[in-house]
Amino acid sequence: MNNSLSSNNIIINMDKVWLSYDKIHYVLNEITMSVKQSTNYTIIGQSGSGKSTLLKLINGLLIPSKGKITVFGMTPNKKNKQFLNIMKKIGYIPQSLGLVKNISVLDNVLIGTLTRINKIKSILKILPEIEIDNAKQALELVGLEDKMEKKTYALSGGEKRRVAIARALAQKPILLLADEIVSELDHVTSKEIMNLISDTQHELKLTSVMIHHDIKLALDYADIVSVLQKGKKILEIGVNGNTITDFDMTKNQPC
Amino acid sequence: MLNYKNNLLIGFLIIAFIYSYLILNLDIISFFNGLPNLLIIFNEIHNIDYSLLSVAFVSMIETIQMAFLGTALGYLFAFPLSILASRNLASKYSYLPMRCVLAVVRTFPSILWAILFVIMVGLGPFAGVLSITLYTIGFISKLQYESIEAIDSEIIDNITSIGISKSQLIRYVVIPESAPHLLSQLLFTFDYNVRHTSVIGLVGAGGIGFYIINYIKFFEYEKALVFMLVVLITVIIIDLCSVKIRDKYIIKFATSKKLN
Ligand SMILES: Nc1ncnc2c1ncn2[C@@H]1O[C@H](COP(=O)(O)OP(=O)(O)OP(=O)(O)O)[C@@H](O)[C@H]1O
Ligand SMILES: [Mg+2]
Repeated sequence: MNNSLSSNNIIINMDKVWLSYDKIHYVLNEITMSVKQSTNYTIIGQSGSGKSTLLKLINGLLIPSKGKITVFGMTPNKKNKQFLNIMKKIGYIPQSLGLVKNISVLDNVLIGTLTRINKIKSILKILPEIEIDNAKQALELVGLEDKMEKKTYALSGGEKRRVAIARALAQKPILLLADEIVSELDHVTSKEIMNLISDTQHELKLTSVMIHHDIKLALDYADIVSVLQKGKKILEIGVNGNTITDFDMTKNQPC
Repeated sequence: MLNYKNNLLIGFLIIAFIYSYLILNLDIISFFNGLPNLLIIFNEIHNIDYSLLSVAFVSMIETIQMAFLGTALGYLFAFPLSILASRNLASKYSYLPMRCVLAVVRTFPSILWAILFVIMVGLGPFAGVLSITLYTIGFISKLQYESIEAIDSEIIDNITSIGISKSQLIRYVVIPESAPHLLSQLLFTFDYNVRHTSVIGLVGAGGIGFYIINYIKFFEYEKALVFMLVVLITVIIIDLCSVKIRDKYIIKFATSKKLN
């Protein structure tokens, strides 16, 4: 955490970002944060504190009411054609998972590879062998290789979560946004999944922003843990193994 | 339930009912006086001309084929139009005009389409197929875009956020997610169209209705009756079959989805 911040390895930068859904109440108040390459930035906070909202600002699903965000040097906006190429490189595992229920597990994971496949071929479902292998490998990593022909609606909650993770892995992202991916999983599986992501992270220099409910899990895997309360960032700490390397209590005290 | 607004509405409906009844000058008595007239038709049952059964059967098959073609064509044309008319996939420059066009198409009953196409392409099954196609487009596109719009918007948002194209979204998300609805609508429309196709024959658009109207014109009720019975039996059979299919495939599909 002590190396000087050279601006070129900052992947995400937020500067005094505010967000309101209804133009009356602010769900996020003056959030300032930056995420460097290859780090795991983890957000924790109470239910309703604005964590999922914050994540959606990063891939352009939401646009801030005030303030500025840059992601890979661009302002996120899902309607911007230029940002599209960046979106292809952002893996997103939403809290609601976003899986298509009526197709097979494998097809759901293949959706992650679609951005690399020729449009017409993908519509005819002529998919390159290599992408099918990619998808199968991702399923193997999350331990679902024996369920890949199953329809997705017939899976358990935890299995669905793992399908969503596999889809994001098959996408081969350089930035991963993960909203409570292990919340529904038991302790052992949680650890497995988190180790898996953490390995991938080191291998591919993946940058990630994650949301966790379990503070211990957050401290175990994060490089930076940030705490949200009622839409305000009240604390940001740097973590390295068991030691806290950086501590930044924001002046905005909870009211 | 019975607040002021509802009372007003109920009062209005009662007044509209009485007013319509009086204005149309309906004579209930003639209904009962006319009942014996029906006996004229039923008396013909004794001298039904069973030799016509094979003709009736062939023309029923023709009717079903027309309904099948019209349903399939209408359904296929309707789908891309429905995509252009759905608010969650198309921009308002697309869905607003598209909805207007489809609303206009929908206002035409099948028999009006049939008259138009008989004028255009002449008597016969071609006019029938065209009118069922147009009727199906108007009728089913609304059902289709409504089921497309019923797809959870979060799924669409989340999946577009990884940068896949609109066509890929339709192929991998929209169609599979709305498939149970789309299939049950297809079945329902075919079922429905068999009846319509029987009727549009009355204006010369081919199929069994064409025979029926011709026999009735010449007061050959005993012949018309054979054809009417064949229609009745066919409709009952198709109805039973589609209930079976729906129960077996679509309902099961939908409930297994709900369980999760
Ligand atoms: N689409 C929306 N429209 C309006 N308000 C919303 C919407 N989504 C979230 N909110 C509101 O914004 C606030 C923050 O929601 P958010 O989903 O970001 O919370 P969260 O921290 O992720 O909570 P949880 O831990 O329960 O997932 C909540 O008060 C919620 O009611
Ligand atoms: Mg959330």
